Amino acid sequence: MSLSNFFDGWLTSLADSPISSLGTITLYIAFMIAAYAAATGIVGNVQKRERLVNSSIMAMYALCAIMVMASALLVYAFVTHDYSIKYVTMYSDTAMPLVYKICAYWGGLDGSLMFWVFLLSVFSTIAVWGNARRHKDMIGFVVGTIAIVQLFFLALLIFSKNPFATWLTEPPLDGKGLNPLLQNYWMVIHPPSLYIGFVSATIPFAFGMGALASGRLDNQWMKSVRSWTFLCWFFLSFGLLLGGRWAYEELGWGGYWAWDPVENAGLLPWFTMTAFLHSVIIQEQRGMLRVWNMALVIITFFLTIFGTFMTRSGIVQSVHAFGEDNELALLFVLFMAFIIICSVGMLIWRMPYLKAKNQFESLISREFAFLLNNWVLLGSAFFVLFATLFPTLSEALNGERITVGPPFFNKWMIPTGLILLFLAGATPLLAWRRTTRKRLAAQFAVPLGIMVVVVAALVIGVPRTRVMTPILAGGFKMPMALINFAIIAFVFGSIGQEFWGGMRVRMRQTGGDAFTSLIGIIMAKRRKYGGYIIHLGIAVMFIGFSGKCFEVERNFTLSPGETHLVRDYSVTYDRLEIDDTNSDHVMRWIAHLDVSKDDSFLAHMAPEVRNYTKEEQPTHEVAIESNITPDEDFFEDLYLVFNSFDRESQVASFSVYVNPLINWVWLGFGFLAIGTLFCLVREDWATTLSQRRKTRAGRGTQTLLILVAVGATLFGLTALADAQPVEHDNVSKHQASGSAAALNRENDAVLMAPYKAKAVEELRAAKPNLDPTSTKFQIALQKKLEPIVESNRQLMKDLICLCGCPRESLYHCKCGNAAQERGIILGILANHDLSTGSGRDAARDDVVTQMMARHASKEDGSGEHVLMVVPDEGYNKLAWAVPYLGFAGALILILAVSRRWVRSGQGDLVAVGDSVAAVEDEDYSDILDDELRETD
Amino acid sequence: MNRTLKILLSLSIIGAAAGVLFYSSMSEAEFYKHVHEVLKDPERFENTSLKVHGFVEAGSIVEEIRDQNIHRSFILEFEGQRIRVHHSGPKPDTFKDLSEVVARGTLVKRDGEFQLEAVELMAKCPSKYEENKRSRDAEITQ
Repeated sequence: MSLSNFFDGWLTSLADSPISSLGTITLYIAFMIAAYAAATGIVGNVQKRERLVNSSIMAMYALCAIMVMASALLVYAFVTHDYSIKYVTMYSDTAMPLVYKICAYWGGLDGSLMFWVFLLSVFSTIAVWGNARRHKDMIGFVVGTIAIVQLFFLALLIFSKNPFATWLTEPPLDGKGLNPLLQNYWMVIHPPSLYIGFVSATIPFAFGMGALASGRLDNQWMKSVRSWTFLCWFFLSFGLLLGGRWAYEELGWGGYWAWDPVENAGLLPWFTMTAFLHSVIIQEQRGMLRVWNMALVIITFFLTIFGTFMTRSGIVQSVHAFGEDNELALLFVLFMAFIIICSVGMLIWRMPYLKAKNQFESLISREFAFLLNNWVLLGSAFFVLFATLFPTLSEALNGERITVGPPFFNKWMIPTGLILLFLAGATPLLAWRRTTRKRLAAQFAVPLGIMVVVVAALVIGVPRTRVMTPILAGGFKMPMALINFAIIAFVFGSIGQEFWGGMRVRMRQTGGDAFTSLIGIIMAKRRKYGGYIIHLGIAVMFIGFSGKCFEVERNFTLSPGETHLVRDYSVTYDRLEIDDTNSDHVMRWIAHLDVSKDDSFLAHMAPEVRNYTKEEQPTHEVAIESNITPDEDFFEDLYLVFNSFDRESQVASFSVYVNPLINWVWLGFGFLAIGTLFCLVREDWATTLSQRRKTRAGRGTQTLLILVAVGATLFGLTALADAQPVEHDNVSKHQASGSAAALNRENDAVLMAPYKAKAVEELRAAKPNLDPTSTKFQIALQKKLEPIVESNRQLMKDLICLCGCPRESLYHCKCGNAAQERGIILGILANHDLSTGSGRDAARDDVVTQMMARHASKEDGSGEHVLMVVPDEGYNKLAWAVPYLGFAGALILILAVSRRWVRSGQGDLVAVGDSVAAVEDEDYSDILDDELRETD
Repeated sequence: MNRTLKILLSLSIIGAAAGVLFYSSMSEAEFYKHVHEVLKDPERFENTSLKVHGFVEAGSIVEEIRDQNIHRSFILEFEGQRIRVHHSGPKPDTFKDLSEVVARGTLVKRDGEFQLEAVELMAKCPSKYEENKRSRDAEITQ
């Protein structure tokens, strides 16, 4: 092809689709600029040529400008319906509201990759702008690192995933539209938020690489990226939470977190970033963990790229991963290998310069608690990564795809999370370097006291909290809800005590009143108290997490007028309404249900099934009734999904979830946001704010302003959390989620059958005026039968089916043997009166004795192997003790190793003449107290 | 403590942790198989929990309501091999004739025939962003 032909062709395509051509050109230019920035930045710093470095910085700004232009072009194409561009056709249509047309930018794979480049260019401009002067000898390396990352993504865009690509054939007249699931207000903010968190992790990494390359390994670079990492961490947290809220409202499986690979991809860097935010404090305060911090920065960045790879290459299967793409996978693998080789290589090269300036002096010190927190966080990341990749790993190892579900994640992550929560409460109570016994006792007394009181109150007052949850491996169970509440109480006590102590010191120093002093101390030590507020937020979120222990799920099918009892809520299906007012766009089927409790009306709920003309599948709009009984279960949600229906008979099937405490999760995030705000307030703003106003009016106004700001933030967050779907086309799709509870409905019917006739008779005798076909009668009947069914259900669950299944209960196992055994048990139960609690207990004992006797044999001993949980008595105590002993053994081992480590540290200190270890008196403890107050 | 020992200790702790995880995950693990893989050697999977992947045979879905619950049974097909699946409770929206489904449940032998008692049906959902080419092709060829 001659040059003139080429230009002719190009001009024709420009005339056909100017946006596409311009967009593609901007991407080419961006690629060249990035290459230039990488080269000049690195060469400039290596050869110490300032002009080259400055040129690379300018190139970085230019890259930002060009990416703004490319983004504007793509958004313009969406808004003006330029269907000559494939990407626009795939993810938008003419009827879509404007805001979703703009969001469609990151709705697909190609656009989301370009969005990545765009965000990174904006962030790098801000970061380089703020730090260019301070870090002249390393900024070129920083620019170079960022530019290399940009080059990779730009190369992906240009060679494989160009969002400006056009159709080879005649373009279609209208687009396919964005998936209705994504047309939701949470989705407008969720992906950008998560993206901001992901992309901004590149900046600390670039600074880390800059520090390694330039050899300037003091704490300076870390100070520059600290706030940056904080912001990045906040957006990642926010993105994860919004994702949870979106799933809760839109996906219709009643929960907010399911350990889906895509969610996990966001969680992995969150763990390592959280670890970094903590260990960086040790480096600042004590000059320790310098290699570790550098490693964390590298790992975090690597995990963001890995997460992007995981969700976009199809190596893991997920409901919401992008499709499978081998070419993309290969490119990502190469890039990840490049990152690891370069960064780890540089870290090893500079290792001698990263020696710690201090060593650990005691296990009971704040730095050791921080280190422990880091280990646990990194361990969590490792575990989540392992479990997410388990199917892929198993397939690679032996060719068989083996999957693990959310229960496996929960079993390990619940105890891990609780250890972290405990550390959040315990660490502030410890002093730097070492904590004297006296101080330890003084600091822990109040929080532990509060914990004991709360646990005692819960055990006695709310028996439900004693529920046992399976954790770790095997059949190991512990009352996790109770442990959770205990630790939450401890954290509240500990942090409350810190605020109280700080306020008292401030009052003594300034002579101000309590409230002014409290605000004063928070503003003076923003990072410290901001951090505490974040910890409080996490503790509040844990209250919400424990709601999982008490949730109830029911699936049922009703005819109009029928009622089903869900825990203590009576759900009555009133009628089906068809809304075809907008039938060329969407058909809506609305189920009207009334919810009552103890015969008093609570709420009208109207979940929907919708059929969009453009979509083949129906979508579901769940109905959520928040805070439905504030007097009894604070912050409880009743969550109703309309699954399917029969048009003629109007019989409809529903899923109902009772989610206690769930709203504490959203509330906790409010605290987290406020804490982050405090941590990020800049020094100069704080100075202006904290100057003592000369007049009383001035002081009053200031206090008022703070109150208004805090109040507005709180209000905004609560409003956000409580926001219900608005009247635009947000729709939901019910995810595939047949539940384990669902299949056992059949069992329940069997369990109920022998008692139903008698109960009906008794009820008719007791309430002769009540019509047996009426809803009220049905509710009363269900209420009467529920305790019996529940008791029998539990009994079946406590006995193991011996058919050879993997320790399934008689209730869950579907084999013929289980059915036969259930029959035998029902036979035994028939001889007992189950209408009273004591009768049910007696029946239970009888069944257990008879079933044990039935299966007792020479080989199997007393027949205890039929029991799901071995009774905690006699020799069995030993079996119960094994996991605990294992725990204790591991703990002792870790302590022993760590002690030796610490001792060697102390030995070094003594050798240089500092006999810190020998001093243990009042003065020292006072000094530590002061030190504690002064550091943040 | 010398350096080598430290490194060895760290490595052994990591190794032990990985071992414990692998061991504990085995009890939670479920096989993920296509219909023909299961039926090649069904005795191996009998009474174990697994995920079975296939397509719903056209016209095979039978549903009935008992005690306020929908019970359904259908045939899952892959590469010419067929298995009957029983399930009750809500179904995914994409569940219909010819749809691609992953059923999670226990393989049992009933009347001399291997069947799956499913606790969960997952429509092999097209990812939110990309259309599932396979199920679309399947429809086109029908």
